[in-house]
Amino acid sequence: MSEKTPEKIKYRILRFLDVTGFTVFDPVVRLAFREEPRKQIESITKFLVVPTLFVALCVGLWWVVAPNHKTKSGEVPTPNIVFSSALINDTFSEREKTKESDFLLSGDARVQALQEVDTLMSELEAELATLKSTLTEQESLYKASLASQIDPIEEKLDALKAENRQARTDRSQSIEALSLEVASGRAPNSELVEAIRKDNELYAAGRQAENVFKDQIEAIRSDKFKPLETARLDVNAVADEIQFLKKRQAFLSDSNRSVKLEQTKDKLAAQDGKLADADDAKAVLKEAKSLVRLENGVERLETQQYASAMTIYLQIKRSLFTVFVGFLMAAAIAIPIGILCGLNKIAMACLTPIISIFKPVSPVVWLLIFQIIVGAFFPDPETHPFFLFFDSIPFINSLGINPALIFSACTVAMCAVWPALVNTALGVSSIDRDHLNVARVLRLGFWDRLTKIIIPSSLPLVFAGLRISLGVGWMVLIAAEALSSSDGLGKFVWDEYQNGSSFSFANIIYACFVVGLIGFLLDRMMIVFQRLVSFDRSESTV
Amino acid sequence: MSYLEIKNANIGFGPESNRTQVLNSINLSVERNEFVAIIGFSGSGKSTLMSLLAGLEKADTGGVYLDGQEISGPGPDRGIMFQNYSLLPWLSVFENIALAVRQVFPGYSKTQTNEHVERYIGMVNLLPAVDKKPHELSGGMRQRVSLARTLSMQPEVLLLDEPLSALDALTRSNIQDEIIRIWNEDRRTVVMITNDVDEALLMADRIVPLTMGPEATLSQAFDVPLARPRDRATLNANPEYRRLRTEIANFLIEMNEESKRLRSSPDLKMPDVTPHDFTTATSAAFREFSETDVFQLEQEEKAG
Repeated sequence: MSEKTPEKIKYRILRFLDVTGFTVFDPVVRLAFREEPRKQIESITKFLVVPTLFVALCVGLWWVVAPNHKTKSGEVPTPNIVFSSALINDTFSEREKTKESDFLLSGDARVQALQEVDTLMSELEAELATLKSTLTEQESLYKASLASQIDPIEEKLDALKAENRQARTDRSQSIEALSLEVASGRAPNSELVEAIRKDNELYAAGRQAENVFKDQIEAIRSDKFKPLETARLDVNAVADEIQFLKKRQAFLSDSNRSVKLEQTKDKLAAQDGKLADADDAKAVLKEAKSLVRLENGVERLETQQYASAMTIYLQIKRSLFTVFVGFLMAAAIAIPIGILCGLNKIAMACLTPIISIFKPVSPVVWLLIFQIIVGAFFPDPETHPFFLFFDSIPFINSLGINPALIFSACTVAMCAVWPALVNTALGVSSIDRDHLNVARVLRLGFWDRLTKIIIPSSLPLVFAGLRISLGVGWMVLIAAEALSSSDGLGKFVWDEYQNGSSFSFANIIYACFVVGLIGFLLDRMMIVFQRLVSFDRSESTV
Repeated sequence: MSYLEIKNANIGFGPESNRTQVLNSINLSVERNEFVAIIGFSGSGKSTLMSLLAGLEKADTGGVYLDGQEISGPGPDRGIMFQNYSLLPWLSVFENIALAVRQVFPGYSKTQTNEHVERYIGMVNLLPAVDKKPHELSGGMRQRVSLARTLSMQPEVLLLDEPLSALDALTRSNIQDEIIRIWNEDRRTVVMITNDVDEALLMADRIVPLTMGPEATLSQAFDVPLARPRDRATLNANPEYRRLRTEIANFLIEMNEESKRLRSSPDLKMPDVTPHDFTTATSAAFREFSETDVFQLEQEEKAG
């Protein structure tokens, strides 16, 4: 038994790798269990080490090539910049979380947190002061070095400019004299034309000589001064942190929910007195109205939530929700219709023109169509019962369900429906004749034949179709979000493209990796489902 | 009147203008509890004949009668065992059989169903593999599951469509014994299709050859008066067995040659050329017979 257990564990792990499609790691597991080490090492080298090196090579190539291409939004970011943009996004989301908890803190915990923030603040302010002095020092150093480099060149440039100007004036005087001569017929016309030509050429040459110096100065100016850059970054980082702490202070004091609630309640108590003191009808009415207003205010504050800014994680969450809504819509439409088409040739003939025409339509067109259609359904989304219903469901209410999400999901569904439909129809119509004969011999009714023979036998192909659908849906969704400004990864990319900060380009590339990674995981998830329902043990293509 | 009857059945495929007659005026009578083997060449329409009996295929003219009633479609009273098992690959052995049992005996309780299924799985000695999926089983085991499923429906007539042709020789004889053993327990009417004379002689009461297709028809039957149980080991020494075997084999060979003559004779005008024969006489003979299993039979005949 003791011998068998590791074997069992090994085969369980291998089975898991097989189902999830990570058979590449097969030899690693086998090696860990000391099964034919030489063979395993060989296949690890071939199928793990070499591909890893290749990917590393690609990253290296990116690192080398990227800075050479200057764009309007700066250089193409290198991998390390993309990585740091990922970290920045992460910090941003962490801070949002802290602010949220600050907003909700109450009582002693709030006071204590405020004190901590205050001490931290004073420490950081001291640090900022020293950093700022370093920065000014570096700035003056930079200016001095810049001056020492540029001044001699500028002197030379000025001298050259003066010389050129002088030469030009001399030439124009001689041309003027020549023109008088030509007018009186003492010199031929061609001589004057030649002189003007010569003058232009000399002028251009002079400008060119000046430009050489100008370029030199420009190059020196654009050369980055490393110590200054780091000093600036340090100052920015600390200033950023202080900004964040100031926000925290606000959320721990005046903007804090419990504090605001307390204040409103105090006012409410005072208002009671005012109402009692009021003597004439007009004053009573006025005080009573403000009392009701304050009561409403208390009620609203009690359930108020922190309005978090959209972090990338929230965007991911919302994109995933949207894609699943769209995907489930697609599956709910595609599977029944696909079964119908597979069973009935007339139904197939009826739907073939519709499928053929609408399948190649671009998601952008669908997006616009659905935007109009869905918009018409919800003229006033804020108060529509459909959205109020979603707002009352926990977990989902934080996603902010709005018409933009609905029509993005509809677009996803519209584009994802075709592969699932076609594959389901294929799966149902290509069912083994022998299995149908079994159903006939057993005299299975229509429903039994459908649920016991037709659906199980077509499931592998149905899931193959759903897998393609989900992949298509995810791709379409990003584009739809970018265009429709429905919060999600697509909007993240679009916003970054629009706002053009120093990290925008890096953020876009970061989002590209995030989208790719999530798409990959979704695909793997579908592979697992596909493998679990396929009875024929066939390998799914990865 | 016989128990199971085919009366003057014709089946053809293709459009009216270019119709290929597969089965031509088939007449067959099977008595109650009789074991009939239908023997024929591949492509002669054996499976079509079986589909006709099962009700999966309809005759153009004529019909099939069971106990005097014309059959109109497939049903569990004629349990058919398909050549390629036809097990549902997404169901376990147990579930494959239970699907049939639940359908045929809808009144059974859950325990009754389970007992019934297990009894038939036990009958084909597959209890250890009860939860396995078909793809985890060998060909012989799959065919046994198929047999158990067919038997579990307790059909009046058992139709075996070349049940053993996809199996290796050893598994084959095992399952032959099993089928005979189970048949002995409660003698049902059996119609089996085969292309193996030995198998037919070992199992059947009567052997009916199907002539070469197209337009195949059943020719005169051979009774097999050998006493049961028939022992495979001693059967070879039985003179009656050897006589029948030779007779049937010769009949089949003759039929093959005749059909070849028939095939080449009709109004097709052949060009007047003489092919040059480079080969020796034996390989020419080989070519002549290699299309069919008959060659094998003949070789065995010479050797034995």
